[in-house]
Amino acid sequence: MFRLNLKIALRNLWKNKGYTLINVGGLAIGLASCMLLLLYVAHEWSYNRQFSNYDKTYVVFNNTKTPNEILSWPWTPPAMAKEVGQQIAGVSRASCSTNPAPLLIANGEKSFRKQAVFADQEFLKILDYKFLKGNPEKALQAVNGIILTESTAKSLFGNEDPINKTLKLENSQLLKVEAVIADLPETNSIQFDYLMPWAAYEKQFPWFKDAGWGSHFVLTLVQLEDNSFFNQVSAEMKGIFKRHEKGSLAEAIIHPFSKWHLYSRFENGKSVGGRIDQVKIFVGIAFCILLIACVNFMNLSTARSQKRAKEVGVRKAIGSSRKSLINQFLVESVLLSFIAMLLAFVLMEITLPYFNRLLHIELVLDYGNWKFWTVLCSLTLFTGFIAGSYPAFYLSSFEPVKVLKGFNLVGTSSVSIRKVLVVAQFVFAVCLIICTIIVYQQLNYVKNKSIGYEKAGLIEIPLQGNLGKKGGLGNKESMNVLKDELIKSGVVSSVTYFSSGMNWDGHRTFDMNWPGKSKKELVYFNYRCAGLDFVKTIGGKLSLGREFSPKHHDSLNVMVNESAIKVMGLKDPIGKVISMGKDQVTIIGVIKDIVVGSPYQQAAPMVIFDWTVNLNFALVRLNPGGNISSAVQKIDEVTKRLNPDFPVERNFVDDEFKLKFQNEQLLGTLANWFGGFAVFISCLGLLGLTLYMAEQRKKEISIRKVLGAGAMDVLSLLNKDFMKLVGIANLIGFPLAYIIMTRWLSAYEFRVGISIWPFATAMGLSLLIAILTLSIQSAKVLKSNPVDGLKYE
Amino acid sequence: MIELKNIEKYYANKGVKSYILRHVSTSIKQGEFVSIMGPSGAGKSTLLNILGMLEEPTYGAYEFMGEDVVSLNERKRIELYRNHIGFVFQAYHLIDEMTVAENIEAPLLYKKVSSAERKSRVADVLDRFNMVAKKDLFPNQLSGGQQQLVGIARALVAQPSIILADEPTGNLQSPQALQIMELFKKLNEEENITIIQVTHSEVNAAYGSRILHLLDGVIKEDLSLQQVI
Repeated sequence: MFRLNLKIALRNLWKNKGYTLINVGGLAIGLASCMLLLLYVAHEWSYNRQFSNYDKTYVVFNNTKTPNEILSWPWTPPAMAKEVGQQIAGVSRASCSTNPAPLLIANGEKSFRKQAVFADQEFLKILDYKFLKGNPEKALQAVNGIILTESTAKSLFGNEDPINKTLKLENSQLLKVEAVIADLPETNSIQFDYLMPWAAYEKQFPWFKDAGWGSHFVLTLVQLEDNSFFNQVSAEMKGIFKRHEKGSLAEAIIHPFSKWHLYSRFENGKSVGGRIDQVKIFVGIAFCILLIACVNFMNLSTARSQKRAKEVGVRKAIGSSRKSLINQFLVESVLLSFIAMLLAFVLMEITLPYFNRLLHIELVLDYGNWKFWTVLCSLTLFTGFIAGSYPAFYLSSFEPVKVLKGFNLVGTSSVSIRKVLVVAQFVFAVCLIICTIIVYQQLNYVKNKSIGYEKAGLIEIPLQGNLGKKGGLGNKESMNVLKDELIKSGVVSSVTYFSSGMNWDGHRTFDMNWPGKSKKELVYFNYRCAGLDFVKTIGGKLSLGREFSPKHHDSLNVMVNESAIKVMGLKDPIGKVISMGKDQVTIIGVIKDIVVGSPYQQAAPMVIFDWTVNLNFALVRLNPGGNISSAVQKIDEVTKRLNPDFPVERNFVDDEFKLKFQNEQLLGTLANWFGGFAVFISCLGLLGLTLYMAEQRKKEISIRKVLGAGAMDVLSLLNKDFMKLVGIANLIGFPLAYIIMTRWLSAYEFRVGISIWPFATAMGLSLLIAILTLSIQSAKVLKSNPVDGLKYE
Repeated sequence: MIELKNIEKYYANKGVKSYILRHVSTSIKQGEFVSIMGPSGAGKSTLLNILGMLEEPTYGAYEFMGEDVVSLNERKRIELYRNHIGFVFQAYHLIDEMTVAENIEAPLLYKKVSSAERKSRVADVLDRFNMVAKKDLFPNQLSGGQQQLVGIARALVAQPSIILADEPTGNLQSPQALQIMELFKKLNEEENITIIQVTHSEVNAAYGSRILHLLDGVIKEDLSLQQVI
């Protein structure tokens, strides 16, 4: 029975090649889109899950209360790990490690700046990295040990065995290679190229030894003996800051390691999502596209019901039960979805490289993985079943007497269901079009919004080695040498210095005081240090006063931004004395806000000092109009000459700035592509449906033509109904898209207003596409000879 | 074998009952060859459909081989006609996507006959109807008469005790029609299969043993052909 059904299904599909093509095409695109998005979701989901005890591992978050909000970040005092590991019951291990930061590592001549992490031994026990060489038990014990990842070892040593070889860190410390671990998968929140013992950190940065419970810069990981201890440990952790530092505003919470990536947004000290929101959107889109393809199938199969009705009648008359008919139709749709899946494979393999480039990830179809096949097969079966269920139940319900008598099947119920399905398809398509447009509008709005300085043609050069950090501190002479040399090269118009990268968030303090500040007020200030010509070089604007100048002695003077003035409520800020900690400083200038953190948020108040010691970057303004690549080459020559021990490093500020839009850009691109697919599949469905309608109404049209109906009459007769459906879909889609986008936009402080344009565009686009689709078929009907249509019967 | 008592069938339209069948009572015995005749709209096909359990009478009792059909549930009814009834249609109603052999095999599949037996029975029927050479053709590759032969073969393969034929020769030219009627007669005489056919043609009716004349839903005449002769 099954074999025969399969055979008949195949013959049926072959006989109606057009429908099969539309169906398989639609389903294949749907399945491929769904699989790609699910692949991406699986990638996001797999973060931090490659360690054997990941489920018992937690990250300690630090919730600091301010009057307005609770700020949460994973940075804790260095003493936290020891305290937690030894004092709190239920904790089996606790480790401390630093934030990955680029440090110079050299094997003789070969030197690279690579991400370095300092960590204690517990770190390796909590996160069981795969050791390729060396003993994991002994690693990180000695002060001068270092663990390399495989590719780091390769770039430093080539094919030599790196074990026990010596490396030089930051041109000072000597380190011995203890072990090599496999490269870290992308799906790891802690990314580094080499790992060094905690003791080496103390040696490299001696000041940190005195850091107490007030300084937060260490990542503490905690592993529980068992997850049943979670509540108990959480309760103990809560007061840990207060126990060590009276009046501390911080509380510690533990956040599952596996959720760190997806649930990283905190509000009021509680995890409220993060990347998971985007992932959820993608899952939603994935299934909606698949559903649209299924709806296509349903539409076309029920539309063809007249053709199948006779078969159903005969089968019933010769003794088939309804169940076996349902089975037959389900076999057909599952078969179709398997064919579609094969095609989807081809589509996926073709599009995956592009998709990867788009998302900056490395997804592969892992054919050896049983999970992959399970998902694949269940998805195919699911699709086949969903797509086939309605047609199966509908078609099998025909009464044999009626269909065998030649009863004309214009089941009104099935028509209205088909209409509902078409409307649903187009609602989704219209929603996606609107959302895509608004996402892009928002992106453009924020991108084009003034960020307070000219980011194009601005280069950052980290000050390392001879460039200005001679002896580990800012060295005025070497900085001046760099500046002179750069300007002498002729490609640079001005040079200044800054304490951090232009796009770095962080370096914040609560400890700002100003005249009239109330005791309770706690405001988060960004603090930076800048060199001479700062405002001029970055292309910013001074709204009051002056910037640092060689004519003055400015070490007790500061510049502030406009937000700071607003926060402090100073009427006439120039000359006012404010203080950070113990340092009393005088305001000499006010600059327009510059965006250093999120471009979507109001700039935080900022204070800029003139402390050479803290300068870490040179900011270089290229001569406008010059050739960029030759300019860059000249700059590289200068830095290489001045600083031969270090590899050349420089960044374009606007490149870095672009990275801030990655999430939104990704959402926009994906919504664009998959929205396009959704529209395309919907149109396939519409095409199929008109094909059917025209066929069914062939006789009517022929009669009308004989009676003298013109081309326009016939066209409007055929298409009016469908246009109405698309119109209705638009009307339903509008409020839906409006609600979704209002919610999405509400997360941004700077947001574009929702105008009528996206809606009008979606309406126009969907109607236009529908008209085009419909016209293809209608033209065929128009050209046909009415006699052919009347010959039948 | 078949006992009809007071069968009525009507459609109510806006409160007005339009009768298709009225007070139809008759009994048909095993081995009879009955022709139902009458003008268009007399209710011939409806009567045949009721006999074939494809339609339910509005009122009345129908006993098939001693079982009250009206009160049977659908599963039992399907069971009953799977085993006892074979249909032959005017428009043949073969399944276009199936070959000749598959079309003939289909009822056996629903009867859950084993694969080996299916093969032998289909081969047997094909042989009897001289269609072995055509077994892999599709219906649209056959002439009308051949298609109807396949239709009859399909009805016979399940070894029914009764064949219901709704104008089996209506779409055929007369030489082919005669061939089909001969076949029916042979089946009736040699295998004692009860045959009930609806027909317009006196010639066809003459092959049978009994004629039921319907007019406006009422049996006007019930002739036994032996009597006529």
